Amino acid sequence: MTNLQKIKNFKRGFAPFFAKREYLFYIGPAFVVTFILMFLPLFQIIVGSMHKWEFGKPLFESDFIGLKNYIELNYGYVSFGKSLMKTAIYGFGSLGIELCLGLLIAILLSNMRRTKGLFSAIFIIPIVIMPAMVGLTWKMYLSYDGLVNWVLSLFYIPKVNWMGTDLALVSLILVDVWQWTPFFILILFAGLQTIPKDPVDAIRVDGANDLQTFLYVKLPLLTPLIIIVCILRIIEIIRNFDVVFAIYQGGPGSSTETLPIAVWRMFMSQRQVGMGSAFSLILILLSFFIAFIFINFLKKTRVTH
Amino acid sequence: MRYELINWKAIFIFLLIVTFALFFFFPFYFMVSSSFKHPLDSSVYPPIIFNFEPTLKNYITIFKKYPMATYFINSFIVATFATLVSMTLAIPAAYGMERLISQNRERIAYMFLTMQLIPPISMVFALFWYANFFGILGTYWLLVIGYTLWNVPYGIWLTRGFFTTIPKELEEAAFVDGATRFWVLRKIVIPLTKPGIIAATIFIFIGAWNEFTLAMFLTDSHTRTFPTTLGLFVTHTGILWGAMFATATVGVLPIVIIALLIRKHFVSALTLGAVKGNDII
Repeated sequence: MTNLQKIKNFKRGFAPFFAKREYLFYIGPAFVVTFILMFLPLFQIIVGSMHKWEFGKPLFESDFIGLKNYIELNYGYVSFGKSLMKTAIYGFGSLGIELCLGLLIAILLSNMRRTKGLFSAIFIIPIVIMPAMVGLTWKMYLSYDGLVNWVLSLFYIPKVNWMGTDLALVSLILVDVWQWTPFFILILFAGLQTIPKDPVDAIRVDGANDLQTFLYVKLPLLTPLIIIVCILRIIEIIRNFDVVFAIYQGGPGSSTETLPIAVWRMFMSQRQVGMGSAFSLILILLSFFIAFIFINFLKKTRVTH
Repeated sequence: MRYELINWKAIFIFLLIVTFALFFFFPFYFMVSSSFKHPLDSSVYPPIIFNFEPTLKNYITIFKKYPMATYFINSFIVATFATLVSMTLAIPAAYGMERLISQNRERIAYMFLTMQLIPPISMVFALFWYANFFGILGTYWLLVIGYTLWNVPYGIWLTRGFFTTIPKELEEAAFVDGATRFWVLRKIVIPLTKPGIIAATIFIFIGAWNEFTLAMFLTDSHTRTFPTTLGLFVTHTGILWGAMFATATVGVLPIVIIALLIRKHFVSALTLGAVKGNDII
């Protein structure tokens, strides 16, 4: 066979299609695995949420009820609105404290000359501890005779019942602040290091003090980074199931029933698979919405890079 | 300018930082130290901080009374396989995205990112249903598949940035000599981006090791992984805190050490490459 014939044979069939689209060999496998394996469950969630589907009953035997699940959105003591409220309090509470504390420590850290490395190493530790263990160890620290009450007693503050209905959400915020403030510290510290010197020097020459330098030069330059960190944190808080589950499992009562816990309870204790699927889909759409904001923001900042 | 013998401002900042560092470090210290205390000493009031005699009783309990070694191995198998599968899928995808696509590159990357941001808890029951349907419930494979779903997009986003740093001319020189693209990826691109790829691999491993939600619902008593063992210590006579702290230490300490070794890559990995934090920390 001559070379020409070889080339002609090659050009027949699917070969030229793939020769032009070499990227299919590279991106194809990852694309197929991720999207097919993600869309199968997604499809099941969408179909299931339109049925009055209960645990232990096959899907095709349950009644089709259309969008009724989405209109009601509660069953028994588990209600979507209530847990959305809880998630919002938990999310914005911990986000606010973490941002303020993280920014403060990042600024302090950037003002230090030596031992920066040691402290940033300490701040890495809480992030990488497995969330389930964080929940369980903090369950002990927060108990009535636990570590937190002992530390408070050193300052002559009476013991507090952290596990009660009133303070359960607050203690959840405390745990989240402990675990994720370092996330803010590390990223904002890295951001503070990359701020260009010229504008800072310029405002210094004009006679600005530390606070003014921070407010008028550093903070505006840091804002895109702060927004990225906050959005990443919100996404993580919305999906945070493990820590909440390990500490309180949504209890006492339903005082720490955040959205993931509500989904779990709808499936496991209320045994309503249909309604649980509706909860799941709304949770997914919520995180898609936040992801959409995040992506748009990322696009904007990438262009300026 | 006035010079002072003692820099009060620096001392104040240092003390403040030390206070905050104690707040973040002390719970971790208490966890590790409690695992070496006598089982009854770990939950007394006031808590014992320094003056205790270290024993290995808790460790003997968890490895003799409970099959903790099995769970440790389970965790290791699942996390290793999930990491390997995700990285073998993610590295070519990230490379192909950077070099072979010109239009729609960002759109495809963001589609992957969106998939990664789906909350696992909302998918876990549907995955359970499918696993039951295909008869793979309670096997290692199910968890590996589950982790791969979330880690392929993550791996793509972690490694994408590294491939753009390699000059195109280097690859073109190899093409002129008759190399195929796959050979270039294997022999030139991957060796040059090795540190970053290793860091990304470790990150995915840490994530898979710590994962709780999927492991909780998709394993049975033979394949359960380390993070889901916490329910074992809640007995009818109370929670065995000493054993629990020992388990936590066994699961957490190796991860903390590995994480400290690759801390240079931490910031860029936490922000999915949005911030280049290399060489800062």
